[in-house]
Amino acid sequence: MKPLEKYNPGVLFFYFLLLASIAMFAANPVMIATALMAMIAAASSYTRDGLGRACVFFFIIFVLTSLANPIFSHNGVTVLLVVNDNPITLEAVLYGVMTGVMIFSVLLLFRVFSALMTSDRLLCIFGRAFPKLGLLLAMTIRFVPLFGRQRRKIENTQKTLGLYKNENAIDTIKGKLAVMSAMTTWGLENGIVTADSMSARGYGVRRSRTSFSMYRFERSDAVLLVLVILSCTFIFFGIATDMLKTDFYPRMKLPPFTVYSVICYVLYAGLAFFPFAAKLRDRAHRAALDRVKMHGGSESSFGEKIRSMYQNETEERSTFGEQ
Amino acid sequence: MEVLRAENLNFVYPDGKQALTDISISLGEGEMMCVCGPTGSGKSTLLRLLKRELSPRGERSGSIYISGRRQEELGDREAATQVGFVMQRPDMQIVTDKVWHELAFGLENLGVGQGEIRRRVCEIAGYFGMEEWFDKSTDSLSGGQKQLLNLASVMVMQPRILILDEPVSQLDPIAASDFIATLGKLAREFGISIIAAEQRLEELVPVSDKLLAIKDGRIAAFGDTRECVERLVSDETFAPYMPAAARLFAKLADISKEFCDACGYGAAGKNASMPDSEITETGVHIKPGVEEKLCEEENPCTEGRKQKSRIPLSVGEGRRFLRDTKNIFEEEKCLTARSEGKYDSELCDARTEKTEGIRKDSKVGSAKESQNASRETALEFREVYLSYERTGKDVLRSLSLKVMKGEIFCIVGGNGAGKSTAVCAAAGLVRPYSGKIKVFGKNIRDYKGQELYRECVALLPQDVQTVFLTDDINGRHPYDLSGGEQQLAALDIVLATKPKLLLLDEPTKGLDVSLAESLCKKLKGLAAAGTTIVVVSHDVEFASAIADRCALLFNGEIVSVCESRAFFAGNYFYTTALNRLLR
Repeated sequence: MKPLEKYNPGVLFFYFLLLASIAMFAANPVMIATALMAMIAAASSYTRDGLGRACVFFFIIFVLTSLANPIFSHNGVTVLLVVNDNPITLEAVLYGVMTGVMIFSVLLLFRVFSALMTSDRLLCIFGRAFPKLGLLLAMTIRFVPLFGRQRRKIENTQKTLGLYKNENAIDTIKGKLAVMSAMTTWGLENGIVTADSMSARGYGVRRSRTSFSMYRFERSDAVLLVLVILSCTFIFFGIATDMLKTDFYPRMKLPPFTVYSVICYVLYAGLAFFPFAAKLRDRAHRAALDRVKMHGGSESSFGEKIRSMYQNETEERSTFGEQ
Repeated sequence: MEVLRAENLNFVYPDGKQALTDISISLGEGEMMCVCGPTGSGKSTLLRLLKRELSPRGERSGSIYISGRRQEELGDREAATQVGFVMQRPDMQIVTDKVWHELAFGLENLGVGQGEIRRRVCEIAGYFGMEEWFDKSTDSLSGGQKQLLNLASVMVMQPRILILDEPVSQLDPIAASDFIATLGKLAREFGISIIAAEQRLEELVPVSDKLLAIKDGRIAAFGDTRECVERLVSDETFAPYMPAAARLFAKLADISKEFCDACGYGAAGKNASMPDSEITETGVHIKPGVEEKLCEEENPCTEGRKQKSRIPLSVGEGRRFLRDTKNIFEEEKCLTARSEGKYDSELCDARTEKTEGIRKDSKVGSAKESQNASRETALEFREVYLSYERTGKDVLRSLSLKVMKGEIFCIVGGNGAGKSTAVCAAAGLVRPYSGKIKVFGKNIRDYKGQELYRECVALLPQDVQTVFLTDDINGRHPYDLSGGEQQLAALDIVLATKPKLLLLDEPTKGLDVSLAESLCKKLKGLAAAGTTIVVVSHDVEFASAIADRCALLFNGEIVSVCESRAFFAGNYFYTTALNRLLR
């Protein structure tokens, strides 16, 4: 279980929503830099698989946005160079870079978000608000892989039966169409069974269904929610009163470091690094458990010791990999 | 206490087909009733009529009482909760994406509160031992787990009656017997009344209290299981459906009435000699509330015997019976008959005779093997390794086997042993990462394009619905056919490619006894005509009836291959019920 998964999906959803919107609306270099670092840390600890490839893609977007702004916006007083009679200004470049970093970190945030918010968690949120839609989504989520698997099965079977006789495009397309039509029949026919199974279990007996979810709202959820709301209100107040506002045009002007703004930065850093901190804590806890396993049973047999050593080694390797 | 009663039930489909005629049944609390009958006899129609939400369209007369109230009078909520229904296809009955959500589905429909749902869902998951896969997505479960989930998600609504329409026909034998054991437990521990229709009764009959046999929409027999079995085991239509122990008993009774009487095993002999018409007459149509009387009045042939029939139903009972009779035999020096092999050959019908015969002639096997050696190989696996994922577990591990031309070769083995993968590899649908597969002496990789499938190799997949591309098979839509008919229709389509090597993956799934026999005949005919057939199956009875040679696949490798008589005689678990009886 990932460390953040114990929280209620609704609270987590709210948390990620606020985190992203602050990063987007604050337009404050300090906060965006914080967000970037925090999200790199979180993404590398939660979603290691395929992170490299995703980062390449994110980086391209980052470069594009950074370049786009100075090309289209010619505000600012510090002219770096003139291309085709259009001045490229330092301020526009800086603004572009900041936007790029912001998008980069928000993309990473969505990555972490999607790793944590699996389909059933999202359903838990939407199901509460729209029970019918929730059920429809749950059925769709179930049906998509089922449909895909059946398609592959039919294609395989039909291949052995000589559906794709000649290896040319026309034959292939014809074959695929035939498979699609068979799929439709299959889906409709077996859909009847599903419908029967639903009505047999009282679907439609009551107008309003409950939307059940396994996730409870617990004390820790309440604590997290309150903390998030308080600190976000504080930060949003700062944004609304322009205390955190950065001016880029005509000349870049960072907001002054006041007590209020520093508190805002600290609060935001606290919020943004929360997933990573939770992961670190979890890892420390596991390491402690391993130590107990290693040194706890002194009179354990030789074989057991070897086994625990081996286990430890593999786990270490995996934790090492995670960094 | 009576929970379910149907009186003079008649049903006519809109197209004028009379599906049920004058059906009267009753079921008490905690009783388990087993419904049997050939395909198309009206089993499903009856079961669906009993569940109001699933009642087919058509004209119904007669009445159904649920817990003493007419079915029509029940509220929607009561109708949904009081009667639970589980169908045949495990996959399609599942509605949602997660196991826990599926369990909660019925309760959500009823608008039960969150806390209550949580309690009941967790409770039921605990009872059915689903903790391990409680959080999994329904897609990742095995067939047996899926069907158990379907049962659990009906049970969570706390029904008083549970109706199951061929619940285990799509499952492998081990999952099937687990499932049936669970049903028996539910009836005993919760007093739930259970009605289950099934093609194969080997396991269901011993645990059920009542048996209902339907033929052409009419009751052929209804009442106490043992008495019904005793009557039906000599009936032409129903005999093949009965458990092996009962069939053996009937055969023995045929041969020697005296010793049966002598050992107190009742009047089976007399029953056996009764004409069929009389049997259907004694298949009493019970008037409500008179079952008690029934026991006395229905059996004019039991003579002085006041105790219940003692026809054995399970393998255990059968063995006990055989032990007892053997003792009496010895006393009466009847054993000479056995040494002459007289009843040995008589008592076994054609399909099981084989397994028995082995005790005497294992020489035949070796003769056949030497004959095989001279023949051409049709399919050869040489140390084949295969895995589906790059880092995943090997599904096939060093699999080596040779199938001779014109031979029927059977591969049996448990779930996930790699049986289906092996045939898929032979059909060129999956590639091994190491090792060679040769089809008619040529490496499978050297077959270019569609060459392999042109009058050479054909595969009947496990899911036969994947075979149908057209909407019309002899004027009917393939999906309108019953499971068994679909199987045979699919086989016909596959055979139309005129294969020299035919691969069959679980060909007997959902087949009733008579269809299985016709399939068996058909395949034997093909083999005689020179087609090589490789069958992968859970169904040991079928495998024993059809195979020349058998192999046991375990964990991706072949652990034993031999001539099929020797194979089944030597096995303890993977063998026919009759062999288990007689070993």
